[in-house]
Amino acid sequence: MARRAKFWGHLRLGLLALVLLAAGFTLYLDFRVRSEFEGRRFALPARIFARPLELHAGLRIALADVIDELQRTGYREQARDGEPGGFARGADEIEIAQRPFVFWDGPQPAKRIRVAFDGGRVAAVRDAQGGELPLARLEPLPIGGIYPGNNQDRVLVRLAEVPKHLVHALIATEDRSFYSHHGFDLRGIARAAGSLVTGSGLQGGSTLTQQLVKNFFLTPERTLRRKLTELVMAMLLELHYGKDEILETYLNEIYLGQDRDRAVHGVGLAALHYFGKPVQHLTLAESALLVGLAKGPAVYDPYRHAQRALERRNLVLRETKDRGYATLEQYAAARAAVLGVNPKASMGTSPHPAFLELVHRQLRREYDEADLRSEGLRIFTTLDPRVQSTAERVLAKKLAQFDKEKRFGAAGLEGAIVITDSQTGEVQALVGGRDPGFRGFNRALDATRPVGSLLKPAIYLTALADPSRYTLVTPIDDGPFVWKSLGAPDWEPANYDQKFHGAVPLRTALAQSYNVAAARLGTDLGIERVLATVKRLGIEREPPPYAATLLGAVELSPFEVAQMYQTIASGGFRTPPRAIREVTTQDGRPLRRYAIAMEQAFAPETMYLLAFAMQGVVREGTAQGLNAWLPPESAVAGKTGTTDEQRDAWFGGFTGDRLAIVWIGYDDNRAARLSGAAAALPVWGELMASLQPEPLALSRPDGIEEVLIDPQSGLRADGGCPGALELPFARGSAPVERAQCTSALGIAVEEVKQRAKSWLERLFGN
Amino acid sequence: MKHALALLALLAGCATAPQPAIEPAGAPAPAPAARVESIAVASLLDSARSDTEAGQLASAAASLERAIRIEPRNPRLWHELARVRLKQGDYAQAESVAARSNSWAAGDNALRAENWRLIARAREARGDAAGARAALDAAERQR
Repeated sequence: MARRAKFWGHLRLGLLALVLLAAGFTLYLDFRVRSEFEGRRFALPARIFARPLELHAGLRIALADVIDELQRTGYREQARDGEPGGFARGADEIEIAQRPFVFWDGPQPAKRIRVAFDGGRVAAVRDAQGGELPLARLEPLPIGGIYPGNNQDRVLVRLAEVPKHLVHALIATEDRSFYSHHGFDLRGIARAAGSLVTGSGLQGGSTLTQQLVKNFFLTPERTLRRKLTELVMAMLLELHYGKDEILETYLNEIYLGQDRDRAVHGVGLAALHYFGKPVQHLTLAESALLVGLAKGPAVYDPYRHAQRALERRNLVLRETKDRGYATLEQYAAARAAVLGVNPKASMGTSPHPAFLELVHRQLRREYDEADLRSEGLRIFTTLDPRVQSTAERVLAKKLAQFDKEKRFGAAGLEGAIVITDSQTGEVQALVGGRDPGFRGFNRALDATRPVGSLLKPAIYLTALADPSRYTLVTPIDDGPFVWKSLGAPDWEPANYDQKFHGAVPLRTALAQSYNVAAARLGTDLGIERVLATVKRLGIEREPPPYAATLLGAVELSPFEVAQMYQTIASGGFRTPPRAIREVTTQDGRPLRRYAIAMEQAFAPETMYLLAFAMQGVVREGTAQGLNAWLPPESAVAGKTGTTDEQRDAWFGGFTGDRLAIVWIGYDDNRAARLSGAAAALPVWGELMASLQPEPLALSRPDGIEEVLIDPQSGLRADGGCPGALELPFARGSAPVERAQCTSALGIAVEEVKQRAKSWLERLFGN
Repeated sequence: MKHALALLALLAGCATAPQPAIEPAGAPAPAPAARVESIAVASLLDSARSDTEAGQLASAAASLERAIRIEPRNPRLWHELARVRLKQGDYAQAESVAARSNSWAAGDNALRAENWRLIARAREARGDAAGARAALDAAERQR
């Protein structure tokens, strides 16, 4: 009796424990499935866009370039009056059926525009009715994303955005009783059990809910325990969430293919990846292809196995028709359609990883890495795809040519390019090496190399800031020079041509890049003062305070050099290079704008004199070779740079609209036969010539006057002096002494003319 | 008086007659900044102004930056941007951007005076009374 009671007691306890265990396990599963569900619904990578192309009358751009950008953005050529996401081209005109797009400042609806071209310029932009539009903003090119650690990518869609026929095709094919079951399907389980008995392994019979659960836990094992767990979780999921929520999550979660190292998840991204259009615009045939992919994205890959993909698609279409979701006519039309996948799957891992890295670094200063990878932020950048592609192409071509000629050393030269808008500091392009698609060492950001003569403008800027002592014609001694400092070996800089040139005017010393003159001038001014100028130009790292720094024994990255030259190009306004314009949330709510910001770091007069002298580098100095690419009217300002043992070649310069820094060298820093003029300048020249630069027209500040100078003596000249030059001076700093060529009469005439002029001005006002 | 003028004209004429070739040393003289904006820039200016009136200052600044990308040498655009920055309370940027406007405004004394007055207000707001006075003096000198 007691034994029986004891037995029942044990049994009851055991059962209780079992129930508690089961309950606990279920609770645990419940917790897991819910947290996964909630988490998965919102894990979205940040999406990064190039600058939008803004078309307006007068813009210099060729029709072919507009078409190229449209195609890269997924627009397809079509007949006139076609669907959004297409364009129709005429001889000198293009019709663009724009897709809707949410910009930083709000949504822009789908609309049709017509753009007329005339000789490489936009002649007019019109709407569909022929009315003139002041400005049309095109959809920006997506240039990549910041993906979660597992490289999953998706474009979140709402169920309401997904075409009905896609949902129907999915349900007809994958889970016919989806709307009636409780997470599992008895017939499916029976089938699965059958296959277990016959030993063919567990397969099939999964509801959409079960498939979703399976996706949450990515191990592919097929055991009974696993299957049961999945079943319980599916039921729990159905308990907590409605059918539409589950379906929406499934549509966003489903794995539909691979694009290089990026996994394509969800119908939103798959629609863009395979068809280059948002999911809303998918046809029945296109939807059926995506649904068919769910069973095996590699097996039915439409790029690799077109026939298999087509058969699978048609099977899906038949199921859709058989379940009554499509009429016979719809079925026949869809079956007759071609696969129609995008010829180039261009949305992949960024085509421009070097620029993307810059964006990512600038973002990381303000955003949590986890947020960047999961919150679906939309990042609008400054990348100009045309400038970027041109820079990549020119660098690769030139380096291949150099390699072949072995002019500078063995094959394997590398290079980097940074291009900015000279007025606003926006980074338009960044090339980190000769293979632009390679996401490796980013030389533009991370290769810190001696800058050589690229630092010299800082010396001359320091000098010109004191017009009472230095003007463009002040003689600088380029005779033998030894710098002695305590505890350091004597420093005896030499010129590139191994000669000394005696007293040369300041502007010539810069134009010819004379090392000895620059070293003497820099040490006269004081190394500390020159370094203070370097800092004010925007260099944050502290260069070593040695004399050799003056001649560029300081290591900077091309990006840092761009920062320094940006300040010169923008007239003395320090403008940090920016790669990001705006950041919004996934649904377009603005989070942050990165506005143009600047700070006046130098007097406009001083900067004008320096920029003028740097134009001299191209006009008559070490960069004269640029004339092979650009006409003299371009009036480019620039500087060549070559380092010890010719290891590095640099050219930095600016036109009216762009600043570009080019570095060429070997990764192992070996001695070579490189020079700025021979290796970096041709890259710069060809690049800028391809971009058709605006001429550099410096804005002359009030405090600058132009004075006729006799180049021989550096003294004031007049009409009687042959070869006299008109040179700018800070007001009152020009030489007063007259050159010998001036005649007494000439001077008198000049003075009378001046007086008459000012008298007339007073008389008639200004 | 008449004679003096005639003499001046004569002298000037003499001097210009045997003009030796003077090599142009620098860039071609900068063309005066376009006073008439393109229709694209004008429409962006319009939306910036209506945004400013509606208190949508960030939006106004964005439109002005779009305009500046199209016509970076148009001092009027930089000036409008400086005004928005002043309204936003970003006095440092207001001053810098107004100075940038001045750097393109050679010959437009009225605009330069406006910029200096704006700089004066920005300095005053930052508590720099002496700097504000200096800026007002500079504005006065622009006539």
